[in-house]
Amino acid sequence: MQTHQYDVVIVGAGGAGMRAALESSDRARTAVISKLYPTRSHTGAAQGGMCAALANVEEDNWEWHTFDTVKGGDYLVDQDAAEVMAKEAIDAVLDLEKMGLPFNRTPEGRIDQRRFGGHTRNHGEAAVRRSCYAADRTGHMILQTLYQQCVKNDVEFFNEFYVLDILLSHDLVGGAVSDGDDVAVSGVVAYELATGEIHLFRAKSVVLATGGAGKIYKTTSNAHTLTGDGMALAYRRGIPLEDMEFFQFHPTGLAGLGILLSEAARGEGGILRNGEGERFMERYAPTIKDLAPRDIVARSMANEVREGRGAGPNKDYVLLDLTHLEPAHIDAKLPDITEFARTYLGIEPYTEPVPVYPTAHYAMGGVPTNIETAVLRNNTDFVRGLFAAGEVACVSVHGSNRLGTNSLLDINVFGKRAGLAAAAYAATADWVDVPEDPETGVVAELEEMRARAVGDRVADVRRDLQQTMDANAQVFRTEESLIQALKDVRELQARYRNVSVQDKGRAYNTDLLEALELGFLLDIAEVVVVGALNRQESRGGHFREDFPARDDAAYMQHTMAYRRPPGTAAPSSPVSSDAAAAVAATTRSGDLTPGGPGSSAPGTYDVALGYKPVVVTRYQPMERKY
Amino acid sequence: MTTTSTPIPAPRSSGGPTIVPTVSRNRRTTRGNTELYGWLFMRVSGVVLVALIFGHLFVNLVQGEGINAIDFGFVAGKWSSPFWQTWDLLMLWLAMIHGTNGVRTIINDYAERDGTRMVLKLALYTAFVVVVVLGTLVIFTFDPCPANSPADLLPSFCTA
Amino acid sequence: MTTQLDDSPGTSSTPDTKVGAIPSFDVTLKIRRYTPETHGDEAYWQEFTVTVHGTDRLLDALHKVKWDLDGSLTFRRSCAHGVCGSDAMRINGRNRLACKTLLKDLNPSKPITVEPIKGLPVIKDLVVDMEPFFASYREIMPFLITTGNEPTKERLQSAAERERFDDTTKCILCAACTSSCPVFWTDGQYFGPAAIVNAHRFIFDSRDEGGTQRLEILNDKEGVWRCRTTFNCTEACPRGIEVTKAIKEVKRAMITRAF
Repeated sequence: MQTHQYDVVIVGAGGAGMRAALESSDRARTAVISKLYPTRSHTGAAQGGMCAALANVEEDNWEWHTFDTVKGGDYLVDQDAAEVMAKEAIDAVLDLEKMGLPFNRTPEGRIDQRRFGGHTRNHGEAAVRRSCYAADRTGHMILQTLYQQCVKNDVEFFNEFYVLDILLSHDLVGGAVSDGDDVAVSGVVAYELATGEIHLFRAKSVVLATGGAGKIYKTTSNAHTLTGDGMALAYRRGIPLEDMEFFQFHPTGLAGLGILLSEAARGEGGILRNGEGERFMERYAPTIKDLAPRDIVARSMANEVREGRGAGPNKDYVLLDLTHLEPAHIDAKLPDITEFARTYLGIEPYTEPVPVYPTAHYAMGGVPTNIETAVLRNNTDFVRGLFAAGEVACVSVHGSNRLGTNSLLDINVFGKRAGLAAAAYAATADWVDVPEDPETGVVAELEEMRARAVGDRVADVRRDLQQTMDANAQVFRTEESLIQALKDVRELQARYRNVSVQDKGRAYNTDLLEALELGFLLDIAEVVVVGALNRQESRGGHFREDFPARDDAAYMQHTMAYRRPPGTAAPSSPVSSDAAAAVAATTRSGDLTPGGPGSSAPGTYDVALGYKPVVVTRYQPMERKY
Repeated sequence: MTTTSTPIPAPRSSGGPTIVPTVSRNRRTTRGNTELYGWLFMRVSGVVLVALIFGHLFVNLVQGEGINAIDFGFVAGKWSSPFWQTWDLLMLWLAMIHGTNGVRTIINDYAERDGTRMVLKLALYTAFVVVVVLGTLVIFTFDPCPANSPADLLPSFCTA
Repeated sequence: MTTQLDDSPGTSSTPDTKVGAIPSFDVTLKIRRYTPETHGDEAYWQEFTVTVHGTDRLLDALHKVKWDLDGSLTFRRSCAHGVCGSDAMRINGRNRLACKTLLKDLNPSKPITVEPIKGLPVIKDLVVDMEPFFASYREIMPFLITTGNEPTKERLQSAAERERFDDTTKCILCAACTSSCPVFWTDGQYFGPAAIVNAHRFIFDSRDEGGTQRLEILNDKEGVWRCRTTFNCTEACPRGIEVTKAIKEVKRAMITRAF
C-alpha cells in the first residue's frame, strides 16, 4: 500500500471536480483522483447550455431564474440554494468565458443565449432566452476548458484510480454517535486500476464530485461508468442520501438506445408529435408547450404511448420533428445531435422526424450538503472536512425535478464553492488520524470477489437490476410496482454476494471493478425504491399513479435515507404514519434480507428514512402549471 | 466459441512481464526555422525543377532533330554556353538537395532505431556529396574539344 | 426501425418476424489480445462469435464478449455515444470509436479484426498507455493565454471570429488521429495531429495572445513539418474534424510569420 498526504483530495474529475480543483490547487496542496481520464467524464456529454440571466439578448434577471428553478423543482427546492445558484450563475458563465470557453456569439460579439425548458420571463409568462451555449456541445466545451485550465495550473491528477472507501473518525452506521458529536473525514482509500495496488490518501478535506448513478436503469443517457460510487460510499459510511427517489427522465433519448438528444432541439424550435402527427404538448402545457420542464414532457410522452398514440410499428415512441427548420440552422446550432440520429438510427433529421422516448438522465438526489457544500450527516450536523458538489450532491437546488441547463450551472457554482470551502477548511484544520489498517475492508472485499471461483455473472445481475428498475421504478410508479422492484433488488443483493469475476489478474482488471460498481448500483437502487415507496404523492420526477396529486401537508420535505442496523430509527423519522407503515410492511417484513453489499462496511443493514425540512424564503408552493 | 490462433509479436513489448511503458517522450526541444525552410525549399525547388527539367527535356529530346541529335557534340555544344552551364548546375543542385532532403525525411519517418537511422543518413549524405562534387566539377571543367579526337564527333566550333 | 435494417433479411438469423422486430445476426470478432499476466509476453489473436442486433455497435459486441464469454477482455469505454473518446481502436485496420461503429456497416460475413491503436505502448488487450499522447497535448499550452486586465464582462468576439476555430473545438482527445499517423508510429516523437489540432484551436481564437509561442513550439523538428499530408488523421477522426486542413493552416501561419 502506498500512502499519500494532501490538504485537499478531490474525488472525481468531471465538471464539479475540476472546477473545485482550480480553486483549491491555488490555495492548498490538492490531488484529484478520478476513475477516468478527466476528459472522459460525462460532463462532456451535456449538450444544450448553461443558464444565466445575462440578459444579453432579452430582458432577464436572476430572480426570475430562481423562481423558475423553484417551480421547476415542484417546490422541493431549497430556495436559499436556488437563489445562490441563480445569482452566481452570471459570474460562473463569465468565468468560463474568461477561461476561454468558445460560447456562440450574438451579432454584437456577446455570449448568445437561447430558450430552454422551464426557463421563463417574469414568473412563467413566456419562454425566455437564458441558456448560454456552444453549439450543442456546451458540456464538452466546459469539460475541455476546465481541463485546459487544470493543465495550465499544473493540477495533480491520479487518473484511473477508483476510490473505494471514505475514512471517517466515527462509525456512523453501527456506532453510537449522537447529534452534535464531532465527526471528521481523514482521507480515502483508492485502487489503482493499472497495477491493482491500494493507495491511502490522507487529507484534511475531501471533496466528493463523482457524478450520478444512471446505470441503475437500462435505458439511460448516462455513461457506463456512472455507477453512483460516491453516493454509495458515503451511504455505506452512514452518511444519509437525500431525495433519491427523484430521478429525472429526459424526454428525448433516441428511441431504444437512450442516447441523449438535447432539449436545445426544442429550444431551437423542434416539436414533439405523436403517431397521429399531433403536437400533443399543446394539451399538457398550453403556455410553453414543448418547452415545459422535463418531468412533464417525459410523462406526457409516456402517456401518449400508453394510450396508443405512439409512432412506429410498435407504437412505442413519439417523434421529434425538426423538418420545418432550415438545414443551415440545424447545422449551426444542433450539429452533434443530428449526427447521432444519422449514425445510430439512420434517420436524416432534415427530412424525417426522429424517434424519441424518455431516458434515465439525472439523479436529483444525492449526498446532502448546505450551500457551502459541506456534507450533512443528519439534519443539522456536518461531517467536518467532507464536501460534495455536482450530481453526487443534493444541495438541493433541483428539488424534485431539475431544469435543463441547471446541472452545468450546479457543477460550476457549487464546484467552485466546494474548492474554496475545502481549501479554506484545510488551511486551519488539523490532521485527523486515520483508522488503524484503513485498507483492510477494501482489500478484503476485493480479494473475496477475486477469489470466488464460481458464481453468478456480474452482467446478469446488473441486467436484471436494470430491467426491474426500468419496468417498475421509471416514469410511472405504483405501490405494487415499487414493492416488486424492492423485492427484486433485495434478491439481486443476495445474488450479488455470490457473483464471481473471471479476470483474476492485477493489471487493468476492469472485470473486478465492474463487480464493485454493481455493488454500488444495488445500494443506490434500494434507496431509490424505498424512498419512492415511502413518498405517497406525485411531485416532479416522482409520479405515483396511486397518488397522482402533490401532497404538501405530508411531503413537502426532503427524504433522508440512512443505512442503519435493522430496527434503528432515523434521526428524524417519517411524519406520515400511513407511508411509514407502507414502507415498514415491505421493507421489514418477514425474513430480513441483509441490506446493501460491501464488506468495507459489512453486516446486516436496512434503509432508515427520515425527513429534512425544505428551506422556503420567498415562494410559497403554488399549483404548477405551464 | 473461441479459438486461439498464431501468436504475434507483442507491440513494443520490452521483454519481461512488467507493464512499464516502454516508449517515453525523450524529445529535446529543437525549435527554429530549419524544418520550416526545409519544407518551404521542397515546395519552391519542386516548382523550379519542373520548369528546369521540362526545359531540359524539350531542348534535348524534342527541339530540332529531337533525340537523334544527341551525341558528344551536342552536349559539348550546350556546355560551352554559360547559360546551359548555369541551367544544368542549378538542375543538379536543386534535384540533389530536393531528393536528398526527401529521402532524409523518409528515413526519419520509417527507420525505427537510432542506429539504422544514422547509418542510412550517413550513406545518403556521402552519396549526395559525391554526386554534387563530381557533377559540379564536370560542368565547369568540361573540355568540349579534347585533343586527338575524331573531328566528326566534336562540335562544329572545335578547330583541331 | 430504419429502412436499411428492414431491407437486410439475408443477415437475419432469428425466426422472429414480428412487425418492427430488429433483425439479429452473428458476428465474429478477431481480437488482438495481450495479457502478460496469464498468456506471457506475446500478443495473440482470439476469435469470439456473438449474436447482435441491427442497431448494435462494435462496443455492444465487445460488451457481449466481456459480459457473457470472457470477462478478462479489457478495453476502455464510458459514454458509449462518441463524446468521451475512451474507446478508440483499430477496427478492420482503421481507427474508429467502437461506440460509433455500427456492426451492420462492417460486413458481418468476415471476422471483424479489433486491435489496440498503434504507436502507443499496449498495456493489456485494447488498453494502451495514453501518457505520451497527453504529454504532447500538454506541451502545446492548450489553454487561453491573455495579457492585461480581464474585462468586467465577457471578451467580445464576433460570430465570424468564433467560427474561425469551430472545427477544432470538437476534439475529444481520443487519439484516433495521432495513432493513425505513420509518422507517429515510427518513434512516437512527433507531436501528432491531436496536439496540433488543439494548438490550432487557440492559435486561431481571436481572444488568445499565445499564438506566437505555440507556433514556436510546433516549429520543432518533431512539429508540424513532419506532417506528410497522408490524410489518415482526417479519415480517422470520429468527430469529422478536418485535421489535415488544420495542420496546413498552422503551417501557413508559420510561414506567414517567418516572412
